[in-house]
Amino acid sequence: MAIGPDRTYSRRDTFLFITCAGLSVLALFAPSWGDRIGLTIRESILRPLVWMQERSEESKSSRSVLLRISAERDSAAYASQFLPALRAENQRLRELLSLGRRLTSPFVAAEVLHQSVPTDGRTLLLSVGSAAGIAQFDPVISPEGLIGVIRNVERNRSIAMTWAHPEFRASAFTANGSVFGIVARSTQVSGSEMLLQLRGVAYRDTIAPGTDIVTSGLGGVYPPGIPVGKVLGLAAEETGWERAYLVRPAANPERVTHVLILHAPGKVNEASAFSSDSTP
Amino acid sequence: MITVRSDRNRLILVLALLVVLQFALRPRLGNPKVAPDFLMIALLVFSIRSSPGSAALAGFLIGIVGDSLTPARFGAGALAHTVVGYLAAWGRAVFFADNLLVNGGFFALGLWLRNLIMLLASGTSSDSLLVELGVWSPLQALTTAFCGAIVLIVFRNWLDIRLEE
Repeated sequence: MAIGPDRTYSRRDTFLFITCAGLSVLALFAPSWGDRIGLTIRESILRPLVWMQERSEESKSSRSVLLRISAERDSAAYASQFLPALRAENQRLRELLSLGRRLTSPFVAAEVLHQSVPTDGRTLLLSVGSAAGIAQFDPVISPEGLIGVIRNVERNRSIAMTWAHPEFRASAFTANGSVFGIVARSTQVSGSEMLLQLRGVAYRDTIAPGTDIVTSGLGGVYPPGIPVGKVLGLAAEETGWERAYLVRPAANPERVTHVLILHAPGKVNEASAFSSDSTP
Repeated sequence: MITVRSDRNRLILVLALLVVLQFALRPRLGNPKVAPDFLMIALLVFSIRSSPGSAALAGFLIGIVGDSLTPARFGAGALAHTVVGYLAAWGRAVFFADNLLVNGGFFALGLWLRNLIMLLASGTSSDSLLVELGVWSPLQALTTAFCGAIVLIVFRNWLDIRLEE
């Protein structure tokens, strides 16, 4: 083991360290500056690199799609030889899975460009932007349910704030529409899985474990009926005032690879689009 | 003089290759929470050969790039990478050994420390912090250490790194 420094430390090193750390701390407390700096960097030096990542994601997807289609083809061929009824069922299931066809709101599909930092999942870099008609506050969903909302839009890319972000909030109610609340990320986890909390539930109301929670449409951002998750149990209660329930999320933003971004979703209930295949 | 310039060019080439790997190869390596962080390897390779001040500056720039792509809490990545870059250069100069396993540990520790600082600075709840630091970060640290060791072995002559046999 080599003992003793082979470089001398200068005041310049200390100065550089303190300056960089100071600027970082400053950025932490000035999020609006951060957004502008981030936008400038993404639109300039990072542009070719993100383009490279997009192509890589695309080729990976194409390969996985090819593998899946090959597997489906083999299964179908097998079924057609022995059980023709299975082939018809397979076709029906595929139709059920095509969420896009059943959505009433117009939408754009996007790829998720995951990053290597542990906070990836709170925000997602998406491969489409204003050129595809994406606007701020457009809801982001996956076939399983709610992912989040568009926070920043650039020409060919956008940033989505997911439900895992500490600032995320959405109005939600039970699937039968009887109990309302606000959905936010929970500080509790289940294993390695993040959870949600349905807060602000009136004390007189109770929700049974296993109840489906969907967006209510209040607030005008998310259309009603998008699955949020399933109630796990009571998280907290303030006597005589309100209850909070733990909710297992329907969709996990850390694992999602493709999403749908809804344009001008309006007030149309999207519950029927998720009715059979995705509500957990 | 020519040798110094040539060394610098080789270092720049290796760092550029790592940046390309981060954006072109990493997305194909499965779960993004576990896949190796080539930018972190680039920062630590640079830190091994630089003064603490330059390493802190490099860390700051890499952190800003990371924050631009994942702006959950802008500045958290910059702070984490600055501290890790500075400590890596400082630690390397004081006690670091030319052993492949120790170098691998150096990459793993650097990544785990980066994640710790980043999660703390971005306001993570204690439950999530435990899961991230106890499950995902060690896994990502292992894959990063493995890839970092490969980079050191492949480019040992270019980087002028002596590794014990």
